[in-house]
Amino acid sequence: MPDRATGNYLARVQRRWRTSPSWARTIALLAALFIVPFLPFFDEPWLRVFFLVGLYVMLGLGLNVVVGFAGLLDLGYVAFFAVGAYTLAIFSSASSPLDLSVNFWLVLPLAMVIGATAGLLLGFPVLPLRGDYLAIVTLGFGEIVRVLIVNMDNVTAGAQGISAISTPSLAFRHVDNPTWWYYFIVLAAALVAFCTARLGDSRVGRAWEAIREDEDVAAAMGIDTIKYKLMAFASGAAIGAVGGVLYASQFSFVNPSAFTLQVSVNVLALVIIGGMGSTTGIIFGAFILVGLPDILQFRETADLLGHFEFLRAGINHVIDGANAISPWALGGLPAADTWGTEIADKRFIIFGALLVAIMILRPAGLFPSKRRELEFENPGAEAPRPIGAL
Amino acid sequence: MPSVFLTSTSFWVDQFVNGMTTGSLYALIALGYTMVYGVLQMINFAHGEVFMLGSFGGFYALTWMGGDDIGGPMIAVAILVTLIVAMATSAAVSVALERIAYRPLRNAPRLAPLISAIGASIFLQYLVLDRTDSEARFYPKIFPDGRFGAGSFQIEYIQVFLIASSLLMMFFLYLIIQRTKMGRAIRAVAESPSNASLMGVDVNRTIVYVFILGAAMAGVAGVLHGLFFQTIRGSMGFLPGIKAFTAAVLGGIGSVPGAVAGGLILGLSETVGRELLNEIPGVSLPNQWRDVIAFSLLVLILLFRPTGIFGGKVAKRA
Repeated sequence: MPDRATGNYLARVQRRWRTSPSWARTIALLAALFIVPFLPFFDEPWLRVFFLVGLYVMLGLGLNVVVGFAGLLDLGYVAFFAVGAYTLAIFSSASSPLDLSVNFWLVLPLAMVIGATAGLLLGFPVLPLRGDYLAIVTLGFGEIVRVLIVNMDNVTAGAQGISAISTPSLAFRHVDNPTWWYYFIVLAAALVAFCTARLGDSRVGRAWEAIREDEDVAAAMGIDTIKYKLMAFASGAAIGAVGGVLYASQFSFVNPSAFTLQVSVNVLALVIIGGMGSTTGIIFGAFILVGLPDILQFRETADLLGHFEFLRAGINHVIDGANAISPWALGGLPAADTWGTEIADKRFIIFGALLVAIMILRPAGLFPSKRRELEFENPGAEAPRPIGAL
Repeated sequence: MPSVFLTSTSFWVDQFVNGMTTGSLYALIALGYTMVYGVLQMINFAHGEVFMLGSFGGFYALTWMGGDDIGGPMIAVAILVTLIVAMATSAAVSVALERIAYRPLRNAPRLAPLISAIGASIFLQYLVLDRTDSEARFYPKIFPDGRFGAGSFQIEYIQVFLIASSLLMMFFLYLIIQRTKMGRAIRAVAESPSNASLMGVDVNRTIVYVFILGAAMAGVAGVLHGLFFQTIRGSMGFLPGIKAFTAAVLGGIGSVPGAVAGGLILGLSETVGRELLNEIPGVSLPNQWRDVIAFSLLVLILLFRPTGIFGGKVAKRA
């Protein structure tokens, strides 16, 4: 019985994976990610998509510090992404109005500092605010940053944007092709994942958690809530700025139209869909929300879907039958190999419906962190919450 | 050439009337946000889309009735029918939203309904964009042109109509909330859902009423927006939605008079405020700065009154 044998084998692999120490799992994961560019199937377009997924994983990890750890709802995360991207563009590009051409590795820490400062700038006025007030002010902050970028044309070149942004060199080589960018983003995302995980387990992380659960109690326990809330804003913002730097460098072009509310919504959605606080969830969320729409438009997808032409024929047969009795004419399905692009065209409609569906079916996200999962499975362990409270 | 107008009274009168016009629209939409927040403590992020769909519902009703060919006294009837259709469309969408996207999440953690609302908003917006091929639609220009007034105090008919009908709608809403049994149930649920339920109030039905009332206001705003600005499109709900929410927060979310005051203050400061800033020598802010002014005002007011102008203890909850 081959089926049973494979089943056993899979179960054994699974158990082995779960019982391995976490460093071994990390190494295995990194090794698997390392060989991806060597596989013939994953050519350059795929690596570009993976870069974008990696970038959003990073942004998700950064936003998770603010939303997941400290429980501060931030709808303007795009502001820090934009600040990072524009810092690199302004300081490193020869075509920027300032024309400074500073080295990438010098701008990166500068962008983190400027990003963190922007985080503090947002943090100070919103300190006394909670919940929904915070949501709208952060959203407004994101819009303000975008309008400022458009209007400060003597520094940002306005709506025109800045091109020819410098790329980093790593191990004596310029990171300039999709393969190298892929490795670069994997390394960067892994580094950020490591840092945020350590941060979350530290004294600071515990303080954030206490603030998230109940700010008044946290303050009563001697936690300096102002300090830790500002720290959450600043570190989340710094990570967002790094993401912006990498984005600007890889595309080598920035203009204000790339920094809309949609970015904030995407990042927030992937953090929450994946399951707040879990890195697996963020990777999965980024893959579905950011990677899938692009992959659906690939030739490979069209080829694959082409095999389902029979399905279309079958469904259209049914539709024809229905047309015979229905007062309204129902349209047939288009050719199977165009389904991918059709779906990609309508991806925002699907994205919206997906957000609603996932929230209804799994309000804690797809891969909630263990503690959150327990909270949800065991609601009796806590006092019943008032409607809508966090 | 703004410099020509800077000294004239009529310029400032125009600015004031324009501010009142956008302000009334913000106030109408803000009422939906604030009422839903009052009973559910959630941001109905899809409310901007409810406004947009109301506008489209009204548009199709108006074109079906003859569009540009409507004339004479029939204009009044046509606009009334348009308003009713728009209110019905908005209400239907809003009730469906509540049933599908919000009710299952009523006891979920706070972020879940918010994400669900954002999802519903994206879904509706892109569905309409897809159906309209991302192109604008134009409201038939049936409202009589012209202005009336004396000297430099001139005001367009449509603006009078817009401001007056918004105020009328707000007055109706006030009567419903203060004088009817339904209104009493709404106030009771806003106070405490569990206590209201113990007193025999059907909480679920009351919440549906709240969504219907808020959506009706948004539907009226949609038609007024269409009649005044002519152009409507699938993405039109986003910015007014955010601004109206800002207005609701400004006034103190959960408070009905607060939403009206917040809307008018926001509308006036965007238009009159920007021109006043432009009076300062060396300052010249283009139109896009309206948004910056609106959000900066929000931050400023929240700095000094964290619960908004009319807000009480509400903010403590979040």
